[in-house]
Amino acid sequence: MPRIEFDNVSKRYAPSSAAVENLSLTIEDGSFLCVLGPSGCGKSSTLRMLAGLESITEGEIRVDGKRYNELKAQSRDFAMVFENYALYPHLDVYGNLAMPLAARKMPRQEIARRVEEIANTLQISDQLRKKPRQLSGGQRQRVGLGRAIIRDTRTFLMDEPLGHLEAYLRQQLRTEIRRLHEELGATTFYITHDQEEAAAISDRIAVMSEGRLQQTGDLLTLLDNPVNRFVAEFIGNLPISILPASIASNAASPELSVGDARIPFSERRASEIADSTRVAAGRLEAGVRPDAVTLHEESARHRLPLRVSVVEPVGDMAVIVADGPAGRLRAAVPSDSAPSPGNSVHAEFDASRILLFDGDGRNILRKT
Amino acid sequence: MTSNSQVAAQFSLRAVLALGAACVVVGFSLFPLYIMITTALKSESDIFSWPPTWTFEPTLQAFKNAFLLFGGQNVLVFLFNSVLITAASTVLAVGLGSMAAYALARFPFRGSKHLAFFILSTRFAPPVAFIVPIYLMFRSVGLIDTHLALILFYTSMNLSFVIWVLRGFFADIPIELEEAALVDGYTRWQVFLRIALPLVRPGLAATAILSAVFAWNEFLLANIITQRDAATIPVYLSGFSASMGIAWGEYMAVGFFAVAPIMIFTLFLQRHLVRGLTFGAVR
Ligand SMILES: Nc1ncnc2c1ncn2[C@@H]1O[C@H](COP(=O)(O)OP(=O)(O)OP(=O)(O)O)[C@@H](O)[C@H]1O
Ligand SMILES: [Mg+2]
Repeated sequence: MPRIEFDNVSKRYAPSSAAVENLSLTIEDGSFLCVLGPSGCGKSSTLRMLAGLESITEGEIRVDGKRYNELKAQSRDFAMVFENYALYPHLDVYGNLAMPLAARKMPRQEIARRVEEIANTLQISDQLRKKPRQLSGGQRQRVGLGRAIIRDTRTFLMDEPLGHLEAYLRQQLRTEIRRLHEELGATTFYITHDQEEAAAISDRIAVMSEGRLQQTGDLLTLLDNPVNRFVAEFIGNLPISILPASIASNAASPELSVGDARIPFSERRASEIADSTRVAAGRLEAGVRPDAVTLHEESARHRLPLRVSVVEPVGDMAVIVADGPAGRLRAAVPSDSAPSPGNSVHAEFDASRILLFDGDGRNILRKT
Repeated sequence: MTSNSQVAAQFSLRAVLALGAACVVVGFSLFPLYIMITTALKSESDIFSWPPTWTFEPTLQAFKNAFLLFGGQNVLVFLFNSVLITAASTVLAVGLGSMAAYALARFPFRGSKHLAFFILSTRFAPPVAFIVPIYLMFRSVGLIDTHLALILFYTSMNLSFVIWVLRGFFADIPIELEEAALVDGYTRWQVFLRIALPLVRPGLAATAILSAVFAWNEFLLANIITQRDAATIPVYLSGFSASMGIAWGEYMAVGFFAVAPIMIFTLFLQRHLVRGLTFGAVR
């Protein structure tokens, strides 16, 4: 299967602003990469450059070491699934599925056999004579998927293929896509802005923001070891809390102060910070995930006093939104021990899971 | 209850009024056609009877005569000229026009909008304004009284508006459809033929009808640059009154031939004038 490399690729639609900037990224052969990022961050532009539908302003895209920049879309032999299906409206489902095969001059009986096979896999066998407008959204998306997998492609490009579907169907189809990947082992470039979907379906996640690649890794890495504040805030089911922080250097043992709380730091962590030349630069911010916080009734030197504003039930957990002079904090606690709005609480942080960002948003505790 | 029946009464009243209005309009449009066909089928004495007779014994004499007017010059020759010239110029205008329109819609370049408008603007002048230069040009290249001359002229007259109309139709096709076909392995030319053209079928039908109607009915230039060999039905019809008083029966019989083919053509293409061919393509 092909190995895809983006080498310092940029895309500018207008001279002044870049939709994609200096993107370098490798998709190993046969692996499944998810690109995750907020709307407008350049995901589709990246995929369209790879597909040959958009010109590359700067840099090089290589497939198995071969430069692809100038290769026409129809010669790249990729299969693509479009966010908005892009089915041929004048052809029925059979005709839609047959198009990629007909382009390769496959004999009729062979086409018929493949179409039937794919229709069975995707459970659309009884829809073959319908036109796209007569199908439901889920059926249309299956046809779109079918059209991509019907030829033995070695590379899939999918641009939010499940974006318009309801939650139940999304889960079903994403399992289907992952199963197909296990079966075919094709190199896959998959765009989504649903991180749960990304985690479920892919081998590796690439996070983009404002045209730049931020970080790649699996979900756990992105959660626990983000490169910067953007990734920390973007990844995670429950939003991370960001509070101003500083290093208290006058104490006997190193301490991190977050608001009124003085949190002792292990020697090792303290030395990590000391290594960073950026701490001195000024502003520091601490990032704490809701599940790294526990709430207590008694105050203590290392606890942050807060007042509960909102309690949001999430299944058997509750997210407690609490405010204090230092800012707003979210904590996930079991529902049965959840405080009520108006209560005062003392938040204790799991020191090993606190993230620290410098003035530029960089994670200064990042393990590499 | 009361309001329900009131609504029903209003509704049926509106339906009756609408139906009545439709009948009036249709009758108004079809009446000349009726007169034309019945006159062609009447014997000479029935034609001139006063008051006009509504019932008469139909005869095909006028049609027979129409085939042998002008010293044996058959109406079929003129009919053939008209059909040939109309068909050729329509196929050329729609064929070339669709390619140009696709290019303008899909490959924008600096000034392509201005170019599109310039193409449309070639239709702004009334044809009579450039009849003389056209005549002189055709004469200098020896195209007077040839089919080719009319085919060229009608093609160029229709091309501009075909391009303008189809450009809009092509631009309305969701671009993803064509991109999907490119990724599926089709060349640009195949995408044009297999995806884009079928999706602008209503536009093709509409521009073909209007192009054909223009070419079929055009009289001004045809009358000036054709004499015999390439003369079309409108030229033939106009020759009628001049040569031998007016033989109304024959005149109407030829008129029938002047109207019927283009009507049939239009009726045939009309079913392609549907909207929403791209429904269901995206989303
Ligand atoms: N054809 C185009 N012409 C000009 N600007 C464009 C074009 N396509 C995209 N852009 C711009 O480039 C940026 C990136 O767009 P892109 O479609 O790649 O985002 P995306 O990450 O796919 O977003 P979404 O999640 O909403 O699909 C956006 O600011 C967008 O406005
Ligand atoms: Mg997109």
